Amino acid sequence: MNFKGTLPPLILETLIHEPSHGYRIAQRIKEGSRGVLDFKEGTLYPALHKLENEGLVESYDGVEKGRPRRYYRITKSGRATLVRDRAEWRELSQAVTSILGEA
Amino acid sequence: MMTRLDTWIKQATRHLSKESIAQVRIEIQEHHELAREAAMQDGASADEADRLAITALGDPKLANREYRKVLLTSSEARTLSQGSREVQAVCSRPWLRRLMQGFSIAVLLAAIATFLMSGAKTGWPVLLAGAAIALLFAAPFMPIYTPPRARIVRCLRLVFVLGTLAAIFSPDALKWSWLLISCLWPLVWTEWVRASIRRKLPVAQWPKQLYL
Repeated sequence: MNFKGTLPPLILETLIHEPSHGYRIAQRIKEGSRGVLDFKEGTLYPALHKLENEGLVESYDGVEKGRPRRYYRITKSGRATLVRDRAEWRELSQAVTSILGEA
Repeated sequence: MMTRLDTWIKQATRHLSKESIAQVRIEIQEHHELAREAAMQDGASADEADRLAITALGDPKLANREYRKVLLTSSEARTLSQGSREVQAVCSRPWLRRLMQGFSIAVLLAAIATFLMSGAKTGWPVLLAGAAIALLFAAPFMPIYTPPRARIVRCLRLVFVLGTLAAIFSPDALKWSWLLISCLWPLVWTEWVRASIRRKLPVAQWPKQLYL
């Protein structure tokens, strides 16, 4: 399913509980949507870099099973942005539902 | 011989700077390794797992378009290093710094003197122009190195340049448009590239010339 523009909030939502590396973020989004949101994983990292440039996430080097990994964690302003994004999404989905009708 | 992953990375990093390419290579290799291991745990052969991991990454051209929006390209890295050399050239020559500071003070004093002697009516444009020229030359040595202050300086500079050009060419703007476009094009292009770099680099990593 095409979900252009919604990837950044989904990444922030994934990072809200604990820091994670790119591969795990991708898998959590796919599993969380039961496979409906099946995006190309090569576009995940540009989205992560954008969030990092905007100060919404920060990256650091970690180790998993003895191998170096790049981890990402949400920042304070990232949390504030996520709260705003959730509210906007609720408003948008209610508006669309009111036009298309409840299933 | 190039692997599937090498080919994907090569296409995805086209026109990116060396540092950006190295960064992309590390993150995509890590990702590919994990995806490949997961596929092999699900029973795929090594070759099949590699193919699945590459397929999951998607179109490298699309990734390249996205990467170029957020990571420095080779031309942006060149502009950045060229600007660093110019700043270093000024900072490493104390006589050049003093010359620029002295020039801006002299222009400002001359403008004030002209304003006082010629009266308010004709003196205002001279005073404003003098203050703007003084600001342009003195800006690198003033405490402007925060994004909001730097934005104000850049806006003032733009207003000054456009105002000067309008004052000089306004009667025959159309006639001289070819000259204006050819002269302003390099300035517009440099400013465009710098704006793009500002979007891509966190403020903490901005070199001095990005503020100007």
